[in-house]
Amino acid sequence: MSRHKKLWRYLCFAFLTVALLAAGFALYLDFRVRSEFEGRRFALPARIYARPLELHAGLRIPQADVVDELREAGYREEVREGEPGWFVRSTDGLEIAVRPFVFWDGAQPAKRIRVAFDGGTVAAVRDADGKDLPLTRLEPLPIGGIYPANNEDRVLVRLGEVPKHLVQALVATEDRNFFAHHGFDLRGMARAVVSFLRGNGLQGGSTLTQQLVKNFFLTPERTLRRKLTELFMAVLLELHYSKEEILETYLNEIYLGQDRDRAIHGIGLASLYYFSKPVEQLSLAESALLVGMVKGPVFYDPYRHPQRALERRNLVLRETKDQGFATLEQYTVARAAKLELNQKAAMGTSPHPAFLELVHRQLRRDYDEADLRSEGLRVFTTLDPRVQRAAERVLARKLEQFDKDKRFGAPGLEGAIVVTDDHAGEVQALVGGRDVRYRGFNRALDAARPVGSLLKPAIYLTALAEPARYTLVTQIDDGPFVWKSRGAPDWQPANYDKKFHGEVQLRTALAQSYNAASARLGTELGIERVLATVKRLGVERPLRPYAATLLGAVELSPLEVAQMYQTIASGGFRAPLRAIREVTTQDGRPLKRYPLAVEQAFPPEPMYLLTAAMQGVVREGTAQSMKNWLPAESAVAGKTGTTDEQRDAWFAGFTGDRLGVVWVGYDDNRAAHLSGGSTALPVWGELMAALDPEPLVLPKPDGIESVLIDPQSGLRADGGCAGALELPFAQGSAPAERAPCASAVGVAVEQVKERAKSWLERLFGR
Amino acid sequence: MTRRMRYLLALAALIGGCAIVQAPAPGPIPEPAAAPAPAARSENIAVASLMDGASADLAAGRYANAAASLERALRIEPRNPRLWQELARVRLKQGEYAQAESIAARSNSWAGDDNRLRAENWRLIAQAREARGDASGARAALEAAERQR
Repeated sequence: MSRHKKLWRYLCFAFLTVALLAAGFALYLDFRVRSEFEGRRFALPARIYARPLELHAGLRIPQADVVDELREAGYREEVREGEPGWFVRSTDGLEIAVRPFVFWDGAQPAKRIRVAFDGGTVAAVRDADGKDLPLTRLEPLPIGGIYPANNEDRVLVRLGEVPKHLVQALVATEDRNFFAHHGFDLRGMARAVVSFLRGNGLQGGSTLTQQLVKNFFLTPERTLRRKLTELFMAVLLELHYSKEEILETYLNEIYLGQDRDRAIHGIGLASLYYFSKPVEQLSLAESALLVGMVKGPVFYDPYRHPQRALERRNLVLRETKDQGFATLEQYTVARAAKLELNQKAAMGTSPHPAFLELVHRQLRRDYDEADLRSEGLRVFTTLDPRVQRAAERVLARKLEQFDKDKRFGAPGLEGAIVVTDDHAGEVQALVGGRDVRYRGFNRALDAARPVGSLLKPAIYLTALAEPARYTLVTQIDDGPFVWKSRGAPDWQPANYDKKFHGEVQLRTALAQSYNAASARLGTELGIERVLATVKRLGVERPLRPYAATLLGAVELSPLEVAQMYQTIASGGFRAPLRAIREVTTQDGRPLKRYPLAVEQAFPPEPMYLLTAAMQGVVREGTAQSMKNWLPAESAVAGKTGTTDEQRDAWFAGFTGDRLGVVWVGYDDNRAAHLSGGSTALPVWGELMAALDPEPLVLPKPDGIESVLIDPQSGLRADGGCAGALELPFAQGSAPAERAPCASAVGVAVEQVKERAKSWLERLFGR
Repeated sequence: MTRRMRYLLALAALIGGCAIVQAPAPGPIPEPAAAPAPAARSENIAVASLMDGASADLAAGRYANAAASLERALRIEPRNPRLWQELARVRLKQGEYAQAESIAARSNSWAGDDNRLRAENWRLIAQAREARGDASGARAALEAAERQR
């Protein structure tokens, strides 16, 4: 065998090996490109919305609050014919061009409405022709999302939705030969080299396809090998997919800015983020601004560097014109346009992370974490941005004021607030601490703190369910009380004022939050029975059956307290607290509804009596100072709570339309000089006053009668008794004995009158 | 409506409740006022239109939509017993018998002196109990319905 031949064989073999390897590599890349491009679905975060504001005649909301909500939603205050998303003031209210929105139960098209106000109330909602509209929903505010690990946020668009001039501006600036090349562009590269040699700096020279490959498949390192792989993959991509498919993916992938910890990806989200309008409505100037940012979204951030961004935009406009995609006139108009950015404050992954966490936890009961972070679910929540903003503002302001006063101890007080409605268990607001943007420790959900006297209503409710033994005026003993139990030290609760008050009426013991009387009453009734009441009120955490538990040696979170008081606020009908109303797929198909659910946990009579007693707490008891914020006619019912050494301050209470729970204390649980009445109550009062509450009006159950009572003696009174109170009693349980101030005749007359009244009522069927 | 006007109305309702008994000596309002008598149909056009929508949805078997509309209406008028009653009816249709019963009871709590409404609530409760196999409970509810006349 000749050497020649041998060499030839070696060469052949080597060539074949290389060819095989190259083919293998090509096949591997081809496989990767195809499988990843085709299998690639952009991870879409679950998108979370606040409740929609429903405008209708009779809605109690001041015009200024509607304007706030519109601004928050990115509505501009100027007429913009032909597009929605603006409002103007008129003589009696607002004219609003409402944006279209796909709600859980269907789509609401864009429409023009006129909203007239009368004081703090909507007087009328009419359409453009002046016809009365029963109900119009504004689109709900987005309040965040549940994002993929890298906090990438995007809104997918179809190529058909993207304005032609945006695509043209992009092609003109980034890749002139996009529609002609096969994935790489020699002329573009040559241009880049020439430009570099001329000293104009390093220019891209990458095609859109290469850029996409780079973002999609590769790490950002800059080596020759990577560059070659990128080129190769770009060619493969072009072989398999149409220009349109590549372009559409590019437009959805591209990184276009940073909103705090949230990464803005894709032209769809960028258009909403920077201009609060859908991509279809982008003007040439707006499109050019976004295209200009492709090169460096942080460097050309129009919020931080408006001048730089403007110059870059104008450069893009010039390229667009020079490439023949815009006429001189279009160019001139666009160039003259101001930036006109959305003025909404940065929101990051959420402006209300504490509430979002509650939503996330409730979602996790029904959905996979992975699905939440990738399927683009739309979640409609119960958050009322008005209430939430007010709660955040009031808590921050009050805590700052307390810190400054130094009356309560060192600075660094913390707090939490939960606000719900009074009938359905919807959580309207949740504040987890004074730094509301901080997504760390969520005190409303996770700070379990001793509740102190907040548990007392359960004792009194247990008692009032036995009207034969206990009424609101039953005398109970507030003398010194010792509880002995085997294996535990004696327990001797003291009163807040360090005194004992002897015989007091039951309603007074609750109003003044007397510890000795309450402990004695609770142990008389039986600790287990009282704890059963607590459980029925909705506290699921198991409580230890110790006497001290009665006075609140129990740790609960503000949310758990809210659940307990919600049952009282809704007259004994327990409704599980909910933060979510509906969940749909990304295109609006309903997936799940979280309906209103109630369960009658208590009969109406004792609940009515308890509520009357809790109104007494505010009227004449430990929460009297409420009158500094709300008038007596509000008839608020509530309870203060203060724990040992004044470490925790609570107020829980309700009006005719809302329930609120406020906790104030230190994270390190240090002893302080806090009391529910002096710290938590002012927060509650100021918050509710800002929300213009409805007075508390309760439905009077059949088994309840009202009787005039002399407040001093707790006995039957008549018109002759000054300051007599009309108090509710379970039928037949009111005291028969007359107070000294009441004449025998007077009482008899009252009884006749009552009989006459009920006779008349029967007669007229009232 | 201004806040003052609402208080006046609340006060009027209170005074209405004590039409015969003389109002007690001036002072703070001592106890929750009586619930106002329910109107046959809400005067609020938003609530009326939601109720109409809910009836149509109920008739067409779109129970979830009917319930959603009634919940929207309840956010506007949480004390309207008719809304609670309609919601109880929807829950019954959905086979949510325990909820139907609770919600009908909730309607009763706001029903005031509207005996026909109460009787209807008790009939709904009877149906819910029947469906759950509680025959004696259903009978008791029907008797309660009879007593409302």
